[in-house]
Formats: sequence, C-alpha cells, structure tokens
Amino acid sequence: MGYDWDFSYVFKNQGILWEGFVGTIQIATASLFLGLVVGLFLASLRMSKYRLLSIPATCLIEFLRMTPLMVQIFWVFFALPILIDVRLDPFAAGLIAFSMQSGSFFAEVFRGGIQSIDRSQWEGAKSLGMTNLKMMRRIILPQAVRRMIPPLMERSFELIKGTTQMAAISYSDLLYNAMVLSSQLYRPVEIMTFTALFYLCFLTLISFGMRTIETRIEKARE
Amino acid sequence: MIEVKKLYKSFGSLDVLHGIDLVVEKGETVCLLGSSGSGKSTFLRCLNFMEHPTAGSIAFDGKLLGRETGLHLDATTYKYDERELSRHRASVGMVFQQFNLFPHMTVLQNVMEGPLTVKGHARRDCKTIARHQLERVGLIDKSEVYPSRLSGGQQQRVAIARSLAMEPDVMLFDEVTSSLDPELVGEVLDTMQELSSEGMTMMVVTHELGFAYHVADRVLFLHDGVIAEQGAPEDVLKNPKTDPVKAFLSGFNNFHF
Ligand SMILES: Nc1ncnc2c1ncn2[C@@H]1O[C@H](COP(=O)(O)OP(=O)(O)OP(=O)(O)O)[C@@H](O)[C@H]1O
Ligand SMILES: [Mg+2]
Repeated sequence: MGYDWDFSYVFKNQGILWEGFVGTIQIATASLFLGLVVGLFLASLRMSKYRLLSIPATCLIEFLRMTPLMVQIFWVFFALPILIDVRLDPFAAGLIAFSMQSGSFFAEVFRGGIQSIDRSQWEGAKSLGMTNLKMMRRIILPQAVRRMIPPLMERSFELIKGTTQMAAISYSDLLYNAMVLSSQLYRPVEIMTFTALFYLCFLTLISFGMRTIETRIEKARE
Repeated sequence: MIEVKKLYKSFGSLDVLHGIDLVVEKGETVCLLGSSGSGKSTFLRCLNFMEHPTAGSIAFDGKLLGRETGLHLDATTYKYDERELSRHRASVGMVFQQFNLFPHMTVLQNVMEGPLTVKGHARRDCKTIARHQLERVGLIDKSEVYPSRLSGGQQQRVAIARSLAMEPDVMLFDEVTSSLDPELVGEVLDTMQELSSEGMTMMVVTHELGFAYHVADRVLFLHDGVIAEQGAPEDVLKNPKTDPVKAFLSGFNNFHF
C-alpha cells in the first residue's frame, strides 16, 4: 500500500500557507512585546514592598503560570465576551491570552534576575548614597539583564511554538491555514508534512539566532 | 563629629544593641572590638543607616538625623526620611569585608560611580577625582582592569578608593581584612593607617589587634549590647579591667605588641 506522494498541490497553493505564516509572525511578535511590558509591570508589582500590590500580583502570576494556555485562550475568546460584553476577534483574544501568560513567565524571569544579584551589590551602592532608582539603573539591572537574557529567549521560543494553539480559535496562522488547505485538497499528508518541515526550519533558524546571541553574551562577560 | 545617644537595635526579639553612648571627635580613629555576634557590624551599620536603629539618636556634625516619634525604654525613637538618609550615606564612607565592588565596571568606573551618579559631577571631573584616589591607594595602573582580575588586597584598596572619592567626613570599616589571605592584609592596613594619619575620622571594626594598638586613638569593646570597656589602646589591650575583655584577649595568646 504505497502512498503516492505529490507535493505539487502544496506548491500551487503555497500562497495561503505564507499568509498563515505571516499570521503566525504577527501574533508571535505582538504578544512578545506586549508580554514583555506585562512582565515588567507584574514583576514590579510582585516585588513591591506594599503587600496590597505584591500579593494580588503573585496570585495572578501563579494562576497564569499554572493553567494551560489553551484554557486561557478559550476563556478569553469564549468566556470573557459574555462577562464584559465585547466582541474579540481571534487575534485580540490570542494576544490577551499569550501576553498575559508569557508576561507572567517573563515577570518571574525579571524577578529572578534581579534577586539573583547579591545583596552586597545593593549595599555597596547604597553606602555610596545612591537612591533605589539609581541603584537599580546603574548597578543591579546592568548585571541582572545579562542573566535574564537566556531564560527570556527560552520563554520567547516557547511562545512562538505556542502560537499554533491559535488554530483552535480559527485564527489563520500557519497551522490553521494548513488545516483549511488540506481539507480543501484532501492532501493532508503532503500539506502537514510540508507544514512540519516549515516549522522545523523556522524554529531552527530562531534557535540558532538565539544561541548566537547567547554565546556573544558569554564572551562579553569575559 | 559623631554623637550617638542610647542607641538600641533589635532584630525581632533579639536585642543586639542595648543603649550605646558614644562621641567620636573629628580626626579620631576608633577601633571597635568584641566577640563574634556582639553587634559590632550592627552598630557600624546603624551609623550610616544600612540598619535603622530601634531607638536612640545619631547626630553627625551636630546635625541630628530623623524626626522624633516617641519613646522606647529610656530612649527616643525616630522616623527617617529616605532622601535624608541617602544624603547622609553620601558623606559617610563604608568599606565591607567582601569589598562589594561592582563587577560590571572597571576599577576606574567603580571609583567614579559615586561622584558621577550620586553627586552628579561632570564625567571629566569624576575621572580626575577617581584617578587621584587610585593613586592614593597605589592602584592607578589598574584603572582599566575589571575587579575580578585583582587580588583581594587590591580589590579592597579599590573599595577604599571608591569610598574616598565621595570625599566623606567619616569612614567606616567592617572587618575589611577578614576575608584576605594573610599576606595581603598588610597592604590594606597600611592604606588605612595612612588615612588615619592624614586626619580622617574612622570607625574600624577589626580583629587585627596590632592595628588597634598602633593606629587607634581609642579602643571600644562591645559586649552584651553595650560598651563594656573603652580607652587608650595601651590601657584596654594591655591592662583590661573587665572580664569579657580579658576573656576576649586571652583568645589571642600568640599576640605580642
Ligand atoms: N539582619 C539581621 N536580622 C536578624 N539578625 C541579625 C541581623 N543582622 C545581625 N543579626 C544578629 O545580630 C547579632 C549581632 O550581629 P553582628 O553581625 O552585628 O555581630 P558582629 O559583632 O559583627 O559579629 P562578627 O564578628 O561575626 O561579624 C547576631 O546574633 C546576628 O545573628
Ligand atoms: Mg560583623
């Protein structure tokens, strides 16, 4: 029972796959940036000395980290509009879910990076008469950021892979368009194989880029 | 120069300082001795408010820090304004056992950092100040090196230069030679001795009795949260009057003046 492979269908219709790829890039970059902003915000709340801020932030972060992404996407897409009466298109719903969940992971990376800096650094800076803001900007962050970059890239990579879950709410990313195409052409074998290879190349490229950045940082550290 | 009255400090239920009174004159070098855990570091750290005192007043140059809020036992309690404390710290140098240099900056940048970001001086002036201080501690040729490349003794001298660059009125030293290899202790003590002879007001926590004996104008012995004994080094170190000091000094049986 040999299967008759024929990729010509895929190549004739590759336009729709590229469109999907653009959709993947769009949701990934948008949620990455928004996620970083959310992460900074949540991290500073969580590290606040005011419990009124830090406790809710901690709960939110843990909640977002400990519930599956797909559940969050479905919740934002199907449940949220009923609660607050807005229409969310798949992109907006995905953006909210992704940037909130990545943001909570990013927040932990930020917090971990800052707290990994030894107390002696704070004390050295403080004893010179620096205010908290100056200490953060001049002494703590420059050291912490180097340590944050590898885990940040790791999380970003997860986020990019996770965008395939957008297909479940009919957002036309690469995977969703591939599904649509294969149901039209009845050629799931070629189309899904092609899509897998496409992701493989794309993610390998990104992973390679990230590793290059990491080795650069290692080198810069002497 | 420094005037401390009825200083109390507790960590939770642990009473560390129990009403310390102390006046340090301008230009004086005071050595603080005491067994481990007697609160020497805590006392020093209260002077630049790395720790907030539980009660008691601290005045520098006749200027009292903080605002009175109430009473604790027989001492007054104070509330402090963070900005006032930052300004105060800028005028009090502190050198730590572990150097606490900034590893992402070169030696020169470390020493420039205070004048640059705290005082807001022009970069060029900061460089001049930093160079001057590095020359003073004999490390001008290491300006462009990162701290991790230096020996412990050199790092500690950079740390001293970094404090001096702020042109402090007082310098606080907390066991600054304790983590050094024995052969590197001397260079740091020499730097401190020089500083003392130049008239810097200094509070030095140390286990180097030789330094205390030869350099200090006065020696304090901290025990049970109070100053158990104080006086000229010859008196306290050679003819201790109280039991805790005698016990402490007997631990240094191979020490000769
Ligand atoms: N931040 C803190 N929280 C709780 N307890 C503390 C804190 N800092 C110091 N202590 C306690 O206060 C006491 C005095 O500590 P301190 O470091 O001042 O002693 P020391 O005389 O400097 O000792 P050493 O010679 O070992 O440096 C110790 O029992 C210590 O455990
Ligand atoms: Mg100590």
